[in-house]
Amino acid sequence: MTRFLIRRAAGFVLTLLAVSVVVFAVMSMLPGDPALSILGIEASPEALAAMRSQLGLDAPAPARYAAWALGALKGDFGTSYAFRVPVGGLIAERLPLTLSLALGAMAVTLVLAPGLGMAAAARHGGPGDWAVMVLSQIGIAVPAFWMSILLILLFAVRLGWLPSGGFPGWDQPLAALRALVLPVIALALVQSAVLARVTRSAALEVMRLDFVRTARATGLPRRRILWRHVLPNALIPIVTIIGMQFAAIVTGTVVIESVFSLPGLGRLLLQSIANRDLITVQALVLLFAAIVVTANFLVDLAYVAIDPRLTGRQS
Amino acid sequence: MIRVEGLSAALPQGQALRDVSLSVARGERLGLVGESGSGKSMLGLALMGMVPDAAQLSGRIALDGQDMTGATEAAWQPLRARKVAMIFQEPMTALDPLVRIGETVMEPLILHLKMRRRDARARALDLLAETGLTEPEAKMRQYPHQLSGGQRQRVLIALALACDPGVLIADEPTTALDAQIALRITDLLVRLSRDRGMALIFISHDLAAVARATERLAVMYGGDLVETGATAEVLANPRHPYTQGLIAARPRPDPAMIRKRLPVIPGTVPTLGDLPRGCRFAGRCAAELPRCAGTRPAPWPTASGQAACHLLEPAP
Repeated sequence: MTRFLIRRAAGFVLTLLAVSVVVFAVMSMLPGDPALSILGIEASPEALAAMRSQLGLDAPAPARYAAWALGALKGDFGTSYAFRVPVGGLIAERLPLTLSLALGAMAVTLVLAPGLGMAAAARHGGPGDWAVMVLSQIGIAVPAFWMSILLILLFAVRLGWLPSGGFPGWDQPLAALRALVLPVIALALVQSAVLARVTRSAALEVMRLDFVRTARATGLPRRRILWRHVLPNALIPIVTIIGMQFAAIVTGTVVIESVFSLPGLGRLLLQSIANRDLITVQALVLLFAAIVVTANFLVDLAYVAIDPRLTGRQS
Repeated sequence: MIRVEGLSAALPQGQALRDVSLSVARGERLGLVGESGSGKSMLGLALMGMVPDAAQLSGRIALDGQDMTGATEAAWQPLRARKVAMIFQEPMTALDPLVRIGETVMEPLILHLKMRRRDARARALDLLAETGLTEPEAKMRQYPHQLSGGQRQRVLIALALACDPGVLIADEPTTALDAQIALRITDLLVRLSRDRGMALIFISHDLAAVARATERLAVMYGGDLVETGATAEVLANPRHPYTQGLIAARPRPDPAMIRKRLPVIPGTVPTLGDLPRGCRFAGRCAAELPRCAGTRPAPWPTASGQAACHLLEPAP
């Protein structure tokens, strides 16, 4: 058990390290000179050289990587070329909004999907099953941005229940929450559709296994067999997908924040790319990767919690 | 305890059971033998109300005096484990891998008998000890993958016994086990049946195990019950040609047999779709009469039971 955790934790750290190297390398290889984009095309070669030296861009790549990585470890991601403020501060301002979106969407997905999937599996081939399958197919087929527009048209424009976009700031908690409702739903619907299908098929798979027949022969009520024996055994594929979905949700915020004009990390990423603010892009990509790797690490931990066979757990 | 009258089961691909009538008395040990596809497992499942959804049942099933003909899943559910319990062939996969042994055996005690956890725990321990599981206390805390096949089959037996059923159906309980362990599990089932006055339906294709475990024998072929009688009598003096073939074809550790080919019943078991209309054994039977393929033989009395064969028809 302990050895498994140590191995996984080591893998976690190494993955992040590799990600940081790749991100740094890709950003360094990209065409475009930050000094040029800061000073403009009119700048003299001397000024550009001075700016490069000031930004630390004249040092060899390994040294620049070391300086950047060490700084990142301490939470110092450098100074944004475009905004001229520390990147760390830019991210910290926007992180709560993006995290709320992502976690909210994940939570809604977890509330909706497993129940729907199990209900469909329990009624395999029946009308309830068909209804869930058809709805989830629609959910998967519709892109999140289009879903967002439909939601805005219905709930903001037609019904006027919720704002169509923008964010009032966290100092108005109620208004802030109202602003998050539609984007969270837009993100969650697609993922719920995927997860409901995965839950259904995983549960159907498990329902064919011998121990389900044993449970039935033991006179256990159907509902209990489903929730106590089928669902836990279906959790391994479900949790795997949840891990991947969290990554999809986090990256999905980029689009959703644009549609709803929310000042989150996704919008910052688009702005930084537009501004050639490579140092901010670099930090954001690393952060998104870290979130995904963390989600996968949590999934690994969940496997161990679910299945005693994975670690040979004794009493 | 169990009475089955004219039970038939139609599957989309053919008839899995045809007009089977059989009864099992309280405490009786009945062997149910036949090749794969003979309908013996289907009969066992029918007695649990667990035939596949696609199967259409007709005929009567009564359990402990209660008519279960056409009963719904909801009507069957409270009888399972309490009146009739079943164990299956494959102990390796028959236990939920994520649930500890103790919890598995406690589940019906808490759910059906409304025991408190502490009492259920003590009872589960007793049940596991009764099945001869070594170190039951430690095993209670273990997961199925930590147990051997024989140990798991003992756990499944303890689970089946939890609510003290009147009948235990054991569907090939020893087929997946080593010979040595199989023998012990067979003897365990006999002992439990005697100690508890519990009827045992022992489904097997192993005639030696059936001879050891049961008092009465029912031989099935192609969904028909072809012969019944006292186990010793049927094995010593089989009347139906299929039973005769089955007994001749069983492997024996006889030195005289070692270099000879094992006698076999010619042909293969027909699939459900191509069963002959009359006697199901027509086409493979060495003593076949012209009317066998077209006319279904009636059951005729034998020394201790019945056999359904035209050869036994009294001369007119």
